[in-house]
Amino acid sequence: MEKRIDKHSGECLYFEKDKSGLSIYIMPRKDYTGSYAIFATKYGSVDSEFVVPNETDVTKVPDGIAHYLEHKMFDQPDGSNVFEKFSKFGGEANAYTSFNMTAYLFSATEHFYENLETLMDYVQSPYFTKESVQKEQGIIAQEIGMYDDNAPWRLFFNFLGLLYHNNPVKLDIAGTVKSISRIDENLLYKCYNTFYNLSNMTLFVTGNLDPEKTLEIIKKNIKNVNPFTEEIKRIYPDEPKTVAGKFKTQKISVAMPMFMIGWKDNDVGFDGKKLLKKSIEMEILLEMIFGKGSALYNELYSEGLINQSFSFEFAPQKDYSYIEIDGQSENPKAVYERVNAYIKKLKNDGLSEADFDRIKKVIWGDYIRSFNDIEGYSNTFITMSLLDINYFDYYDEYQKITFSDISERFSKLFDEDLCVMSEIQPD
Amino acid sequence: MINSISINENISLNYIPMEKLKTTTIGIYLSRELNKDEASKNAILPHILKNGCKEFENRTKIEHFLENLYGAKMSAGISKKGNFHILCFEGETISDKFAPNGEKLTHELLKLLLSILFDAKDEFDGDAFLTERQNSITKIKSMINDKRIYANYRCQEEMSKDDIFSVPRLGYAEDMEKLTKEEVYRYYKKIIKSSIIDIFVCGDTDIDDLKKLVTKAINNIDFEPAKRAKDSILKDKNAVNFVTEKFNVTQGKLSMGFLTHIGATDEDSIALVLANTIFGGGAQSKLFNNVREKLSLAYYAGSVLNRAKGFLTVNAGIEIENFEKTKEEILLQLDEMKNGNISDEEIESSKNFIINSLNSYDDDQFEMISYYHGERLMQSDMEIRDYKDKILRLKKDDVVRVMSKVTLDTVYFITGVDYGKEN
Repeated sequence: MEKRIDKHSGECLYFEKDKSGLSIYIMPRKDYTGSYAIFATKYGSVDSEFVVPNETDVTKVPDGIAHYLEHKMFDQPDGSNVFEKFSKFGGEANAYTSFNMTAYLFSATEHFYENLETLMDYVQSPYFTKESVQKEQGIIAQEIGMYDDNAPWRLFFNFLGLLYHNNPVKLDIAGTVKSISRIDENLLYKCYNTFYNLSNMTLFVTGNLDPEKTLEIIKKNIKNVNPFTEEIKRIYPDEPKTVAGKFKTQKISVAMPMFMIGWKDNDVGFDGKKLLKKSIEMEILLEMIFGKGSALYNELYSEGLINQSFSFEFAPQKDYSYIEIDGQSENPKAVYERVNAYIKKLKNDGLSEADFDRIKKVIWGDYIRSFNDIEGYSNTFITMSLLDINYFDYYDEYQKITFSDISERFSKLFDEDLCVMSEIQPD
Repeated sequence: MINSISINENISLNYIPMEKLKTTTIGIYLSRELNKDEASKNAILPHILKNGCKEFENRTKIEHFLENLYGAKMSAGISKKGNFHILCFEGETISDKFAPNGEKLTHELLKLLLSILFDAKDEFDGDAFLTERQNSITKIKSMINDKRIYANYRCQEEMSKDDIFSVPRLGYAEDMEKLTKEEVYRYYKKIIKSSIIDIFVCGDTDIDDLKKLVTKAINNIDFEPAKRAKDSILKDKNAVNFVTEKFNVTQGKLSMGFLTHIGATDEDSIALVLANTIFGGGAQSKLFNNVREKLSLAYYAGSVLNRAKGFLTVNAGIEIENFEKTKEEILLQLDEMKNGNISDEEIESSKNFIINSLNSYDDDQFEMISYYHGERLMQSDMEIRDYKDKILRLKKDDVVRVMSKVTLDTVYFITGVDYGKEN
């Protein structure tokens, strides 16, 4: 196993690539009571069109299938219930599907090794029948229905629909009631056999554990040593640099209008350290412009145009990238105009170096505190590792960042032509 | 585990060491008895105070101060536990040992929090007052935004109509509109000297140093005796209360309220925690396995227990036409428990579930503070390990006994505007 130590936090990380192709990360946290494991495949809602290694034809599957597959992984060949197995050992299991990843996880404060074996066993034991696949339609239809009424969720997907012409990130992760009706056991097996090959998967475990023993147990529980020798070819449609639309409003029964304003970022197509550095630069830049200590935030808040619900985010991905700010406002149009006018002025006047110095401290504090919550840390780590980023490289990239890097990044962003706004208005 | 220092009759300082985390967390809680007239003032006051004080004059100065503490976090808000209405001032910083230049970060953060609470300006800023008053009204009105939370809130409101617990956490919009900054300021001066204030610190710090800071911050205040809220549980009504509300929604939200007839300090309260977990707490529960997994009626279905007020609510998001079917299934699962149809595995896995969650407080400073503060309010001061021992000793008979006391009180349902018009 490779071993690395982060001298700032004092934490240590082990890595091994197994012959099955599985990437294994082990991070002991000896004083912790809890432990956590996350077993993830680089396969999310955007992967509906692909070429299976050693095949030539393109496979196209219904939208929402990655999420459907996640639900069906909990059914076992012997008819047993996965949750029951975990709860016997006090483990709390869960799973989620995002745009780019499907993850299976548990947290436990006792019987770590038994829970780990349970996790590895069920994720490597697909069992789909016509009846069991059919049964899930009702549950997922309710999940989709729940999101149809959920204002922040609709706000977000309408926003993505404005930014993107073709990128499948604009589609609902769970698909639609219609698209999931086309899913059957054969399609699920096809997706499983492609994306759940261990060479497409990563396992991250952390907590009060012994690294050698943990590795031994992981290796013993690997069922299939048959790594792909070539890449899974994922087919994404071409995405123009322009935005698909500028404004969209939907009515839902909420008390006050909600807005999500954002800018498409066309500086994409790379991952690894370059993407890590970019995402730290973005964290600093956005905090400087939109953070609670910024002049813009203070003006908008004092005038009652925004309230405490205001927040902002950058999406660090390889194939798409955007900045968004969101919140509640009686007058979203005014927020849109004020923010764009402020940015225009800031582009003329330039950023403040004093702000940069202060915010760089904030980002460092955030990095140190990110080690606190082992669940959050594991999720961040694994999400980044699928982008070929080792989170232990954070400090190296962080300390390189200068004020002129931030200024240069700023100059390439926030073109008003690439700015969109999604709104939810009370019905 | 916890080191409690009484600063004076009203104020306590409590330190829970947790050196393994990178941070130190502070919570200051000012507790009032729930009261209709005070509710809106309680709800707005934390937000007014965090707009500035004598030493840190405005929001931007406070934010820059926090940023210089490597992005320390600070928040103010309001919560409701049992019959208490609690003004909360919380903060978190990386611990001093991670300060690159030897700064005393926890000391500085506590200084800020104490200034905000005890050392307000001589009058509140007019513009900031109006902004926060508007924000507070918006927050009340925004309760309807998330129907899942709203349904549960409305069910509780219906259940507690004749009880002090009906006072809403966020206050009343119509009272809020009439508040003036002078009135809120007078109220602030009154409660700061006549309320229970518990200060909790969890992490890695020098508690003697912090004690000096607290003593200094309050030495100009003439304290008066504080009133402690009496606990009480919700009582039976004559008949089950059915309430339906219409919204423009696709999915119906069902929230069923049950009375437990057992209070937080009753001997049976811990058995009730286990019973509720078997019933609807987590993926091993009867509700999850029957309402969701067996009948595919819902994506979420579970129950939440309020120990202090003696009730539990069952919540599920369902197809509107499945209202009757889901309600019947929930009642059937309750009857199953009353009839003792509970397996050893269900008891075992539910115990594991609770122990696991209590164990996890060891790694989470906010959870740890919240647990001990809750115990303090209930005047129980039970250590976590005693809680665990009690859970582990419980038997099936205990579960059946407490569940047999549970009765249906309220059925609340959100249905669609157009539902029933077609077909």
